[in-house]
Amino acid sequence: MAQIAAQRYTGASIRRSEDPRLLTGRGRYVDDIKLPGMLHAAFVRSPLAHARVLSVDVCAARALPGVVAAFTGADLEAMTVPGPDALSTLMGAAGPTPEFTLLATDKVRFAGDPVAVVIAESRYLAEDGCELVEVDYDELPPVASADFALDPGSPPLFANLGDNIARSRSRNEFGDIAATFAGADRVYDFRIDVHRHQNVPMEGRGCVASYDPDLGVLTMHAATQSVHVAKIAVTMRLGMEPDKVRVLAGDIGGSFGLKIGASREELATAAASRALGRPVKWVEDRTENLTASGQAREESFNVRAAVSNDGDLLGLDVTMVIDTGSYPGMGGMVPAIIEAMLPGPYKLAALGFESVGVTTNKAPYVAYRGPWASETFVRERVLDLIAKDLGLDPLEIRLRNAAPRTDPPAVMLTGRPLAGVTTRESLERVAKLADIPAFRRRQAQARAQGRYLGIGVATFIEAAPGPRSPEGASGPMGSESMRLRLDEDGFVVLFTGQMPHGQSHQTTLAQIAADEFGVPFEQVRVVVGDTDVVPFGLTGGSRSATMTGGVTLHGARRLKAKVLDFASHLMEVSAMDLQITDGNVGVRGDPASAVAVSEIARQAASGEFGADVDARLEVEAVFDGGEGGWSGGSHCAVVEVDVETGIVTVERYVAVEDCGVLINPAVVEGQIRGGVAQGIGAVLLERSAYDADGNFQSATFMDYLLPTACDVPRIEIEHLQTVPLDADVNFRGVGEGGMIVAPPTIVNAIEDALSPFGVRIYEQHLPPARILELIATAGSAQPSGSAQPGRSAQPGGR
Amino acid sequence: MKVTLTVNGTEYARDVEPRLLLIHLLRDELGLTGSHWGCDTSNCGACVVWLDDTPVKSCTVLAVMADGHRVLTVEGLANGASLDPVQQGFAHCHGLQCGFCTPGMMLTARWLLNNNPHPSSYQVREAISGQVCRCTGYENIVKAVLWAAEYEAGG
Repeated sequence: MAQIAAQRYTGASIRRSEDPRLLTGRGRYVDDIKLPGMLHAAFVRSPLAHARVLSVDVCAARALPGVVAAFTGADLEAMTVPGPDALSTLMGAAGPTPEFTLLATDKVRFAGDPVAVVIAESRYLAEDGCELVEVDYDELPPVASADFALDPGSPPLFANLGDNIARSRSRNEFGDIAATFAGADRVYDFRIDVHRHQNVPMEGRGCVASYDPDLGVLTMHAATQSVHVAKIAVTMRLGMEPDKVRVLAGDIGGSFGLKIGASREELATAAASRALGRPVKWVEDRTENLTASGQAREESFNVRAAVSNDGDLLGLDVTMVIDTGSYPGMGGMVPAIIEAMLPGPYKLAALGFESVGVTTNKAPYVAYRGPWASETFVRERVLDLIAKDLGLDPLEIRLRNAAPRTDPPAVMLTGRPLAGVTTRESLERVAKLADIPAFRRRQAQARAQGRYLGIGVATFIEAAPGPRSPEGASGPMGSESMRLRLDEDGFVVLFTGQMPHGQSHQTTLAQIAADEFGVPFEQVRVVVGDTDVVPFGLTGGSRSATMTGGVTLHGARRLKAKVLDFASHLMEVSAMDLQITDGNVGVRGDPASAVAVSEIARQAASGEFGADVDARLEVEAVFDGGEGGWSGGSHCAVVEVDVETGIVTVERYVAVEDCGVLINPAVVEGQIRGGVAQGIGAVLLERSAYDADGNFQSATFMDYLLPTACDVPRIEIEHLQTVPLDADVNFRGVGEGGMIVAPPTIVNAIEDALSPFGVRIYEQHLPPARILELIATAGSAQPSGSAQPGRSAQPGGR
Repeated sequence: MKVTLTVNGTEYARDVEPRLLLIHLLRDELGLTGSHWGCDTSNCGACVVWLDDTPVKSCTVLAVMADGHRVLTVEGLANGASLDPVQQGFAHCHGLQCGFCTPGMMLTARWLLNNNPHPSSYQVREAISGQVCRCTGYENIVKAVLWAAEYEAGG
């Protein structure tokens, strides 16, 4: 078992080096970029969910003073290389690929689908031009629900698919389903729904594309989680050579999975810049962001659970339908991750998992913080429903079913070992912090006064990065590259493909490098956001703590070895006897020998050395995740439900998390709190709502409600750091966990609060109106122990 | 239309369209890009600046309405090289992640402390409740403002 070495910076809440510019208005977000001769794009968008496009007339728009150009879908196809969505291609989406055009050509597939783009001297004028574009539509029946999409009679969104099945039905089984269910005391049936909601970063999507006709080079200033993925999309669609495309990114105002690669609008903007030979900016407004940037979730699960009378969860048999909207994107990949993660930290004997993905006339499907999060919601909801039916305590049923920590570790039914998972520890700890017995007394007193308090617990694990596979052949998350250099000013420079958008990499990676190399924190420079200089990479999937933290540590170690090796020639001392501390190279035990690393670097750059001396103080490092490991934790919420208004107040929220070694506790806790806040929003407020005709109902912040400072409580956090697995790298990702586990935590608490009414909850979105409905329809609808049709439990025996 | 306004102590005169929003005047005409355009509907507060002595959402103020008035933006918050205690509090308490909402949050916080030097955490939450942060879960923003209050009280 590895020991955690004492470090100077790693583990400390170092103040962020990002902050000075961001606090003084000197951040450089994409909309802050102003290039000479820059034009502005605005898009004409479909008001209809599903229609044939009969004609698009841009003549009047083109004639408007200030408008420079207007392009239709057909124009854009002629200006670019037709082909499938680059992101789907990159991610290896299975099955036939839906037709993909930058703007709608023959038909529109959601309310907000772009049909034309107007380029003008200002955004105001571009929007004026949009008003003058005339589009004739022939309306088609909207496919506004997954149920209708599954109907073979529904009109297909994509002619080349022939139906509305985006991801064909498939089924996998682990363990002996038939025997497990046959041997169970009880079999339950539940239908659990997760609603559509979305990322909503405060900064929407946007780019400035600048084509230089003389050089034939396109420079794209993007807001993206990966400059290289964006570059691939641009080169593919514009048919350009990779060395003629450069993607840059500066500060990014959040993303949460939304800004991966380059969107249709961004590619259209790039194509327009090339056609016009001038820079073009497009920054979406909030209505575009809510309507068209992308949405996530909207999944339904039919769950059969095989359970013993004592509360052992023996098997699950799950059928999942995912509504991937009009352009499936990430949606095609989600079911496989949900399948893999569904057992969670519990010792199931059997799992059946069937899934199908459909296309509907709704906004495109994108990744949103923990794209597979519904596996945790379903599992943690089902456990509470079963516990309630069996009269078990929610904590007790979890402790009973959680796999114990053993050596070798228990293996998830779907294949991954649960190495180092501390579910039981975090459950016990969060229960103690929340003092559940004291809460129960308070709850009883409150009920006597007509007040309804509830407590909810949920637990999760996240493969961030996940364990090394038993065969050990490959790392859990592929590999991560980094280039590191010692500059003549004495700075250790890290070139990373990570593209931070709030995660503080400029600070955290510098902490690790400073410790490992031996320079002050201020003497590390982190370079991001330029395809000409950074290696391939992507910020997402909670990968950077382990993968980029790890490559930073190993890279700094290699760079240090190289610098010491070079210094040993200069100083005529064995490298073994040299060390780097506080930015100086010196002989161990001889402080007077110290030479600044800047001096070493200057000598390396200017001196002439023999062939046996490597004076190039630069290394490239690759890290495969080492022994990997899980992050995870257990959360507990206390809520009060006002049964007159349906308003839910989160009174207390406690998180016990295990993400291994903390690089920067303030940053880790910021990630957890932010995720929990989004989870609270997802349950109590946020919904990407469509009516039965596919009209979008939440296109402004007056309709799509985000949690404010009065909706989110103080979030208490405690860390477990119990199980280092790797000799060096035990940092684990925390980007998504809060958003994964907060929804079931809150819903479990609400159901507990409403238990005097007999309310049972099978859904995630619980705004006040829905709370009142649940109370009004409870009792008669949910008597325990009898078979129920539709969305209800069928507890009890066979 | 002619508009003359004083932003962060500097007087600017511009000829603008009547429909131009104050946020766009500040960002696009004056190059003060620290204030951000977030929602168009006065809900998110990324665009909060002071008009004279009051925080306003500059996405729903016409530039011409600022004629003859003073505007304070995040660029004018620090006193020379010395950061305002609110700015220091945000740095000290990790009160920001992506930083997009931060300028508006800080301008509201500055106004709050000018009018209530010793707010409770609830009063801080209430003061910023017309603004949205999608990253932090607000807790560290509240801490940052309380830190500034304590700092200014000499604590």
